[in-house]
Amino acid sequence: MSRTSKPCLAPGLSTITRGLVEKGMALKGRNLIAAALAAAVPLAAWLAYTHMSKPRPTPLQGFSAPFVFGRFSVPEANPLTMESVELGRRLFYETRLSGNNQVSCATCHLQHLAFTDGRRTAIGVSGKPLAFNSMSLANLMWGPRHFFWNGRSESLEEQALIPIQHPDEMDQDLEELLDELASQPEYVRLFAAAYGDISAESIASALASFERTLISSNSRYDQFLRGETRLSDLEEHGRKLFMAHPDVKVSLRGGNCIDCHSQFLTSGFNTLFDGFTNNGLDSEVDLAPGLGEVTGRHEHRGLFKTPTLRNIALTAPYMHDGRFSSLEDVLDHYNEGINGSTTLSPLIREAGNDEGKPSDRISLNLTEDEKTAIIAFLHTLTDEQFVTDQQFSNPFLEP
Amino acid sequence: MKAANSRRKIWVLAGLVTLTLAGAAGWWYRSLQPGTLVLRLHATADHEPLVYNRFDYDNPGGDGQFRVRDFQFFVSNIRLVSKDGVHEPVESYYLARFDNPTVSYEIVLNNVPARDYNQVEFALGVDAEANGSIRSVGDLDPNGRMAWSWETGYKFILFEGALQLNEQVIPLVYHVGFDENYTPLSFSRDASVEPLSTSVIEFSVDVLQMFKGHETIDMATLPDVKFDRDDARLIAGNLTRMITP
Repeated sequence: MSRTSKPCLAPGLSTITRGLVEKGMALKGRNLIAAALAAAVPLAAWLAYTHMSKPRPTPLQGFSAPFVFGRFSVPEANPLTMESVELGRRLFYETRLSGNNQVSCATCHLQHLAFTDGRRTAIGVSGKPLAFNSMSLANLMWGPRHFFWNGRSESLEEQALIPIQHPDEMDQDLEELLDELASQPEYVRLFAAAYGDISAESIASALASFERTLISSNSRYDQFLRGETRLSDLEEHGRKLFMAHPDVKVSLRGGNCIDCHSQFLTSGFNTLFDGFTNNGLDSEVDLAPGLGEVTGRHEHRGLFKTPTLRNIALTAPYMHDGRFSSLEDVLDHYNEGINGSTTLSPLIREAGNDEGKPSDRISLNLTEDEKTAIIAFLHTLTDEQFVTDQQFSNPFLEP
Repeated sequence: MKAANSRRKIWVLAGLVTLTLAGAAGWWYRSLQPGTLVLRLHATADHEPLVYNRFDYDNPGGDGQFRVRDFQFFVSNIRLVSKDGVHEPVESYYLARFDNPTVSYEIVLNNVPARDYNQVEFALGVDAEANGSIRSVGDLDPNGRMAWSWETGYKFILFEGALQLNEQVIPLVYHVGFDENYTPLSFSRDASVEPLSTSVIEFSVDVLQMFKGHETIDMATLPDVKFDRDDARLIAGNLTRMITP
């Protein structure tokens, strides 16, 4: 029995066998030690190999977020790294993610429109208009912890794979996608550096990482909050109206926006389902399932996610179904177009700037000047840097 | 033989002494360890767990029935008093809400010195200093639902719902949170916190007391309370009787 004839991966086995055959007896202490040592060598080699082959990505550099946005967290299993963000950015603009290789995430999330598409509702590979308006992607680490208009996804990672597979959106088979990506040396390299292997999980993680870096924090409102600029009188008037729930008793006029849109983020709230509201778009008979489709709760019918208002002047048309084409239409809705229903927010139902009690016709009763002021304030939420930032742009167009 | 026997005895004795000392040290070490105290609040109405989204409750001061859509409030500045000293957990700002299957909310206080406490104190609302700050401390979140705006601070208690009166459905909005509405509460309650174990104190939160404590409120005539200080005082005055151990 030659030792050299054994494959080098099993010297331990070889030693044990030799010991048993040569001595013709059960293993004694000396043999045990030898066996253990021999077994340790390939084990150590294997551990060293896996350790060396495991990617060690670089933590994301130069990442910061405004103090006023508050706390945020990144999943422990998917830390923000240079490699994952680079990969995620490329995948975001990659048309191979769709079944016909023509549609990428960026088809419906265009940077210059704050990652919306300007359409009433999105159109994917099938060419059929979808049920929902493309949401803006900004400051996704804050605000509601449920994604999509009806909150059906609980993380960015979970969200990312859904449009890819949806027959009307990107209609891609995940196995096919993995094969396509594996055939590209550049992707093999990028995945190896970020996650080690090409898998559906890695794709979702990378897209989520890139999306987490989409932070909009240099609008004029941000500059105002940092004390770097002043708002005009009209914008300041609008800001005050935005931040106030009206109370006639103390002569406080308000646009009632802050009851759903938080003061700094301007998004919905992050606690449980507090970031979802029925804002009076439809009457009882026309109520869409909304959040109720996800929770199964009757009182959640007609509730949709309160979106961030960051860059709102760029993200028309508005609402989950894109029914309003301008901010003026939106203000008119809140001012005099609310439809009553059993799940309508009591804060909307109750709010009014007139002396009368809430009646069948619900109205904020703002003046035209007040509506103009609120719209002026909403324009201060436009962040030119965000919509032109090279870090978020299409990497395939880079020289 | 005799010498060997006595040597063995000495070894046995030494072993026993070592074990005893180690046991005593272990026991002493354990006795110094903190425990956990849970303050468990149960939302009730008419002595039963609160039911949301149903017109089940009579208007305390008038006609009609009301339903609760949302009910939440801040519990802050917890103090546990014993004859050996006072324990004050840092940054204790908790947003208590009850829209869950057990209709309850738990404040879990870890690292509580093991003592026999005889008094539990906390406040309903947010103290003036924290109310005037935009720091995210505990459950205080300037981007949260309880924030009015950074100039105005936090709602201390939020109650939203509707009153059904004849054919009408009247929205109910009670947001109370001026600095003067901050309501310190004190409960004489024995609670023994043992090392490395968990003790629980149960509290009942009677929602109806908001509207029928010192002042009985007719929801039809006062369906909303927001920025009027006199109205806010009416509700805040009732809060002293809302929570009972």
